[in-house]
Amino acid sequence: MEIPDISILSMIFCFLLLVIPLVISYAIKLHIIHVTAGSVTRMTTQLFLVGIFLTFIFDLNNGLLNLTWVLMMVFTATYTTIRNVGLKMEKLFFPMLLSFAVANLSVVLYFNEFVLDLEKILEARYLIPIGGMILGNSLRGNVVGIGEFYEDIRRNENRYLYNLSLGAKKYEALLPYIRKCLRSALRPTLANIATAGLVFLPGLMTGQILGGASPILSIKYQISIMIAIYVSTVMSTTFCILSTTQTTFDEYGLIKKEIYKEKKRKKEYRHHSH
Amino acid sequence: MMQDEIIRYEGVGMVYDSKKVLSGFNLRIKQGQKILLKGKSGTGKSTLFKMLLGFEKPTEGTLYYRNQPVDSSRVWEIRKEVAYVSQETDLGEGPVKVLLEEIFSYHPNRDKMDSEKLHALMQDFELEEDTLDKNYEDLSGGEKQRIGILIALVLGREIFLLDEATSALDSELKKKVADYFLEQEELTLFIISHDREWEKERVKVVELNKTGRNKK
Repeated sequence: MEIPDISILSMIFCFLLLVIPLVISYAIKLHIIHVTAGSVTRMTTQLFLVGIFLTFIFDLNNGLLNLTWVLMMVFTATYTTIRNVGLKMEKLFFPMLLSFAVANLSVVLYFNEFVLDLEKILEARYLIPIGGMILGNSLRGNVVGIGEFYEDIRRNENRYLYNLSLGAKKYEALLPYIRKCLRSALRPTLANIATAGLVFLPGLMTGQILGGASPILSIKYQISIMIAIYVSTVMSTTFCILSTTQTTFDEYGLIKKEIYKEKKRKKEYRHHSH
Repeated sequence: MMQDEIIRYEGVGMVYDSKKVLSGFNLRIKQGQKILLKGKSGTGKSTLFKMLLGFEKPTEGTLYYRNQPVDSSRVWEIRKEVAYVSQETDLGEGPVKVLLEEIFSYHPNRDKMDSEKLHALMQDFELEEDTLDKNYEDLSGGEKQRIGILIALVLGREIFLLDEATSALDSELKKKVADYFLEQEELTLFIISHDREWEKERVKVVELNKTGRNKK
């Protein structure tokens, strides 16, 4: 089966659909014309550039280059996470970068080697999209997990200090906080797993069906990727929390207040979406 | 005599956001002594406890614990030897039993759990048996406070920092708790309280005035 091409004319037809939201916006004074135009332009440009870049990368298909590309995604994911939770980069960036890299790369490489059984595990066609999916999803978990962890420690510092006063090690005193934020971080992923296929067909599966794969093959891919995402989210969030606590607490076991941004904190990271 | 000294504050002061809450505080606490710290709120009483546990760092002066300056490595030892009952009763959540299990799983507290002592104390302090099955956050202020005292006592430590530990109890219970602590000669008690029940003849009262300097 071949995927039908989308010609320039077809793209124009697609963009024509945007007239509908614009008319609605105009009619009921929704004032989203400007934002819509901005977002759509941005998306188109970004994806266009990614398309060109990926064509280039896929043609070269150099293992090292592919890995570098994934590492750059890890870098961006780390940066985005820290910025979203309203913490300062300084103390968190390095431990989180390391945690993201270890957790996500190990899952992707394992996936390519043992699940997909690829001859070349750094094959661009697999490494980059699968790496991206795993990374993007674990990023979401981390924004919730890390955000809640540091917010909780700040708000409920008394409990933590009480645990320390009882002779707990830093790790022991932090355990209740770690458990709580890990549960929050994993809840959306678990909900996604449990409802897969019921509400809508997940993205990967949709793509494969459009690409001509059989429904059975595409669900096998979907099942595998969901498990991989879950595992990488658990791993990366756990690693991130454990590794950052090495740099965010002082030798007395107290949280360093300077890791928090002074400005009034918005709750917008909870609505972070992809 | 020197080896009997447990805690010593030497010219200790504290500045919060360029506001002096405590300055030139001196105090020496010997083993088995019972000290009651009195003073209006905002004079830095709780801060003195927190400094000893390493939760606050003095901006002037030095603290000594068993004749050694309190620093970042010493505080971890102090936290294993001193039982702290905080004014804050928000100690955790979930079933009391689970909370206790967690606390007694910390390394220095392993094999400290003494069920007999726990149940005897619960009876003494009028806590129902089923309190252990209840969620800590659902308990009343007085019950929470008694659980905090209970934990401190079952840990079997000999030095106590009691910060308004009986404030939410009725006068009969205040007396029971205060007597229980004061009767044990070997215990070193450093108490902050507005309750008269602690003012017994064997208790030495230290007054903190507005600038946080103790009267000598």
